[in-house]
Amino acid sequence: MRRVSRSTWDSLTVPRRCVCGNPIRFNDLLSSSFSTSSSSSSSPSSSSSASTTSTCRPTSIPTIRPSLKPRTSRPFSTTSSLAVVPSLLPTQSAKLAALHGRLGLPNKYPLATLGRALIDPTAEPQHHLNNDGLSNLGNVLLGYYTSEYLMVQYPRLPYEILKTAMNGYVGPQALSAVGTGWGVEAAFAPGETVDPGLLQFNRVAPGTPLYKVQGGVGFNIPRKRNRMVPNFENNPSVDAILANESPEMRAAREAQRPGQDATTLELAMASFVRAAVAGVYLHNGGLPFTKEFVHAHILSRKLDIDKLFQFEQPTRELSRLCVREGFQQPIARLEKETGRYSRHAVFIVGVYSGEEKLGEGQGSSLPEAKIKAAISALKGWYLYSPVSGADLPSKTDGQPNLPFKPAVIDVGDIVS
Amino acid sequence: MVVRGLQAVSKAQNGIGAFVLQCKRLEFNYCEMSGSSRGMKAFLKTRLATFAKENPGVEIVVSPRAKKHPIIRGSYINKREKVVCVRNLEVLQVLQKAELLRDASGAKIKKINKPVQSLNDSVRGIWSPYHAKADDVYKV
Repeated sequence: MRRVSRSTWDSLTVPRRCVCGNPIRFNDLLSSSFSTSSSSSSSPSSSSSASTTSTCRPTSIPTIRPSLKPRTSRPFSTTSSLAVVPSLLPTQSAKLAALHGRLGLPNKYPLATLGRALIDPTAEPQHHLNNDGLSNLGNVLLGYYTSEYLMVQYPRLPYEILKTAMNGYVGPQALSAVGTGWGVEAAFAPGETVDPGLLQFNRVAPGTPLYKVQGGVGFNIPRKRNRMVPNFENNPSVDAILANESPEMRAAREAQRPGQDATTLELAMASFVRAAVAGVYLHNGGLPFTKEFVHAHILSRKLDIDKLFQFEQPTRELSRLCVREGFQQPIARLEKETGRYSRHAVFIVGVYSGEEKLGEGQGSSLPEAKIKAAISALKGWYLYSPVSGADLPSKTDGQPNLPFKPAVIDVGDIVS
Repeated sequence: MVVRGLQAVSKAQNGIGAFVLQCKRLEFNYCEMSGSSRGMKAFLKTRLATFAKENPGVEIVVSPRAKKHPIIRGSYINKREKVVCVRNLEVLQVLQKAELLRDASGAKIKKINKPVQSLNDSVRGIWSPYHAKADDVYKV
């Protein structure tokens, strides 16, 4: 019993479509998709070879499709012979061409690369057909441009905050949002009849613990509807789940390893965006164009760096900072107050180092106002950004003779 | 560990940096027989190819829809759809409707009362009586 994806039905029932001004001939499209389905279902040789290859792959994660058949449609030309005629080539897909046009990619960025970027390793295990390599390359490029941007913009950012900000720009959640914002849709299930313009990946079955998916975190336990506050009976901890595991489940879990069998939409979408960036590097003309693309699509997004901080002991940290920098010890002074003995007391505290005011905080108690003043002072230090600006190191990529203004290099975090 | 990071995800600001057209698909439905599709059919024959070339970011789908008035259906990145009936319209009027759907954001129409919408915090900050000058504070 073959599952037929939703997009297959689209291709069968919507006969006349134009690919951006280049109409596909109705007969070609329909006959090829019919021949695909008939040959794959009728020929026993292809199905037997499919079953043998599927046994080689680790079947660790329960997926929606019980047995994964290897894809037979090729996103681009290969030397190996095809078992089945692909239903739709990347150049014939209106969705793929529209995505290409929407991103403003040049003609030298081939549709085949974009089509390959849309194929997750969980849909196609062969490395020369999926986006695994492209995605790794794109990850490196994204990390390079994001980290240099943050380090030059905020030279005093602590390492933990730098990591968090990196995650906010190029983490899986952020990249998945980028991909969704590009209008990329996912196929219901991977297969040879799926439109090449759809993201193809093998979905994890509902209820599968996400820690088993590579790169996934958490347990994916469905909450009750409309329950805003997480309740711990429905969201038990890892230990509670592992303690209540039956021996069979434990044996099955230990036999499994976190494999590439299935993934979530978020992770697959993020991997597509990385692969698309790698395609820009490979086809658009190298690093300068990749930098432009990453700055336009990823770094232009809004992320408030000043809201990423969580201090444990801000007053102590400020004190250590003043010792390190040779400032006078910080002193908190009450500047204004009102209603000290009422329900709504307000205190305004400024923190001073000698004559210099480092920060100010407002709170309903004296300690709160003092702590807020210390946090404000620390953020003022950490979020320092050079007014005149500095050049990004990637400015000299390929052009080493350009005038270059180096960034500030800070001595580092405060150790207490 | 002195300072920890609170996880946050960057927010999209379409048009700052790159602009992504929000209309991703336009579907043109017409009826072969009925007279209300006359202008639509003429549009499909004469104007659609040019329109599609001018808008490479939009997927164009043409399909018959028998015994119904002709419509244009726009699908948007925010997963919404917008449908316009183009019965008895002339070619240029159909083109206008297609351009309207292409330029739409797909968002639900709502009244905008504020002159500025921004993701940034106010530069001025929230008014505080303790920071205002004594003259500006309203005296009870």
